[in-house]
Amino acid sequence: MKALRMTMILTAMLALILAACAPATPQVVKETVEVEKSVVVTQEVVKEVPAQRAVVRLSGWAASPEETALLQSLLLDFTAENPDIVVKYEPITGDFWATLKTSIAAGTEPDIYYMDIFQFPAFVQDDVMLPLDDLMASTGTKKEEFIPSLIDAFSANGKVYGIPKDFNTLGLFYNKDLFTQAGLAEPTDDWTWDDLKAAAQKLSNPANNVYGLGVPADAGRFPIFVFQNGGSIMTPDFQDTLLDAPEAIEAGKFYTSFRAEKIGAIPADVGEGWQGTVFGKGQFAMVYEGGWLIPYLKQQFPNINYGVVTPPAGPKGEGNLIFTVAYVISKNSKNPEAAWRVIHYLTSEAAQKKVMESGFALPTRLSLQESEYLKTNPASAAIFRGALQGARPFMWGLVGSDVNEQMTKALERVYLENMPVEESFKQAAEVIRQKLAELK
Amino acid sequence: MSTSSTPLASALALRQKARRRREALTAYTFLLPYLFIFLVFTVFSIGYAFYLSFTRYNLLSPPQWWGLEGYRRVLCIESWFPRPENAPKPVCDDLFIRKALPNTFKYTAIVVPTQTLISLILAFAMDQKIRFRRLFRTIFYLPSVTSSVVISLIFVWLFSPLGVINQIFHLKINWLNDPRYAFYTIMMVNIFTTSGTLMLIFLAGLQDIPTALYEAAAIDGANKLQIFRYITIPMLRPVIFFVVTVGVIGCFQVFDQIYVMTAGGPLDSTTTIAYLIYKWAFRDTTVKMGQASALAFILALIIFVVTMLQRRVIEGSGTVGQ
Repeated sequence: MKALRMTMILTAMLALILAACAPATPQVVKETVEVEKSVVVTQEVVKEVPAQRAVVRLSGWAASPEETALLQSLLLDFTAENPDIVVKYEPITGDFWATLKTSIAAGTEPDIYYMDIFQFPAFVQDDVMLPLDDLMASTGTKKEEFIPSLIDAFSANGKVYGIPKDFNTLGLFYNKDLFTQAGLAEPTDDWTWDDLKAAAQKLSNPANNVYGLGVPADAGRFPIFVFQNGGSIMTPDFQDTLLDAPEAIEAGKFYTSFRAEKIGAIPADVGEGWQGTVFGKGQFAMVYEGGWLIPYLKQQFPNINYGVVTPPAGPKGEGNLIFTVAYVISKNSKNPEAAWRVIHYLTSEAAQKKVMESGFALPTRLSLQESEYLKTNPASAAIFRGALQGARPFMWGLVGSDVNEQMTKALERVYLENMPVEESFKQAAEVIRQKLAELK
Repeated sequence: MSTSSTPLASALALRQKARRRREALTAYTFLLPYLFIFLVFTVFSIGYAFYLSFTRYNLLSPPQWWGLEGYRRVLCIESWFPRPENAPKPVCDDLFIRKALPNTFKYTAIVVPTQTLISLILAFAMDQKIRFRRLFRTIFYLPSVTSSVVISLIFVWLFSPLGVINQIFHLKINWLNDPRYAFYTIMMVNIFTTSGTLMLIFLAGLQDIPTALYEAAAIDGANKLQIFRYITIPMLRPVIFFVVTVGVIGCFQVFDQIYVMTAGGPLDSTTTIAYLIYKWAFRDTTVKMGQASALAFILALIIFVVTMLQRRVIEGSGTVGQ
């Protein structure tokens, strides 16, 4: 509160002190310096050949130092091959969307930026991105080269606006040791809801804080149950919600029944914020998570013995969520052709292979489906398969954040206030409709 | 006399005027860097925000004039009165009226008296001649010089379901994830953080009271309690006014602890006005910058009114000093 300004001053002072006497510079900073140096080298080369160098600014969030370093090395290769283009990599730390949106408001946005599918509708509506169809044609890039569910997600009004750079789906992560202890056969891709529930019952031991399944009040997990039950979160035109339709309510009843029967729990029940950690600790035998859990487990819980399968099917078949990010070009870009060449390079088969083999992200090109890496990494392969099995983008239209919030609250009301599922979901749907009305 | 002194006097006056002008020029020269920053980053920003509060603006397309619609949607007067069953919901967000406003008032009503009292007691204790006084003062002041984000994170650990607090008191409370407790937990953090600074202010006020007054009271046969009631408190009144005012304004703007610890949840139980402004302006997929600006001005108005009222109350019960 009142300490805020004080805190800011102190933080600034502290930052100055730290900057002044920082002995061990983290690796990220070192990498940045190297790249900048190499950019300078390129400049010298270009001076000899009098050519117009196009400057392209590229912004994304910095997920991890390793990932940033990888992108920078790709950009370095690109500049070596394309001396007429200078790529300025400007990662945004902190709140990416607030920074990006304010920079668009000020007309200073980068030429290329990351676009999350969740935020995509607002950017389409206000027409701030460049359609890529003509540019794609200029290099002979075809839509069909990419996984359909991904490239379609970034298309609107018959135009492609973004080239998906990577993606994630949800997989059912299971703890092999706990399955062996309970005398259960390991899950397969053919599992159903009944198998899931039966296994959760056998795996749970609430007295020891061990639960069968993680069922967080999380809008990034729950919707797959609605899909598997033949329902949807929004209508196809995103003008209304289906959260209070019978399919969704039934899915909600199934999802929350795990915690009610003490065969499932939310992370807070065992004192954690994220179920990935709980899974690593062996307290949740099964969790629905994306590929991001794989490097996390490798780093934090190297000894865990786990497997991944695609989410068990519900009464109405498979259902999964796709989390994906694309490269898009700003409509105000002065060098769209140069920007396209950067994107073209970064989403090329060679570049995607390099990223995949580093273990950070899954490739979006269909041609990499049969790659050696996926054959030797069954966990990543299960996440990859998800995109080809009826998965839908994690995107709820212009009121996406409200839909997420209401879904979370609907589950929280059931969990924390024991409200009946039906009433809670109806309440959520009503607020979402109100938010949709506010858009007009 | 007068005839010969007139030109001299006018010459003197002229020189004085020139000197004053020079002084003013010097003053403004020194003030210039600050004035520049003040005009650009405060006056202009506030003015622009005021303009935005009358527009619909999502950052991606230019602001559209909207008149008072933003204010109407924030206040959502339709939601104040019961609606007949099945009547269409009004097109506005009742989060401000239903959650943010009551939460903010509740927060202020609990935090301000508590932190004022605690810091007054601490200051009084630190004013006594006890051993390790300086050490204690440092310890009590320490939270105030620590980043509130860091403190918030530490409290998140302390109050986690398997955290230290639950272990020590053998409790099974989910402090930050239970709508019944989350807000009070944040209040505790805030009281813990601010009491140190307020203690220091009170301490300065206490040491400002002339000892002669205490001596005179002692000679008149007043006991400790009477001295505290009739000498210390009245003499501290301006300081109390200051502490309460600063506390109230701070409480109305509480944001960072909530942002770090609960993000307004669970179930909006910790959503305050400042957090709601942030949510509308930056969290939502469709940014509501105009509505957020409107709420910011409503918040400013609330703080203004409350501060004026408070001045009345404290002034009314005695002298506010200067």
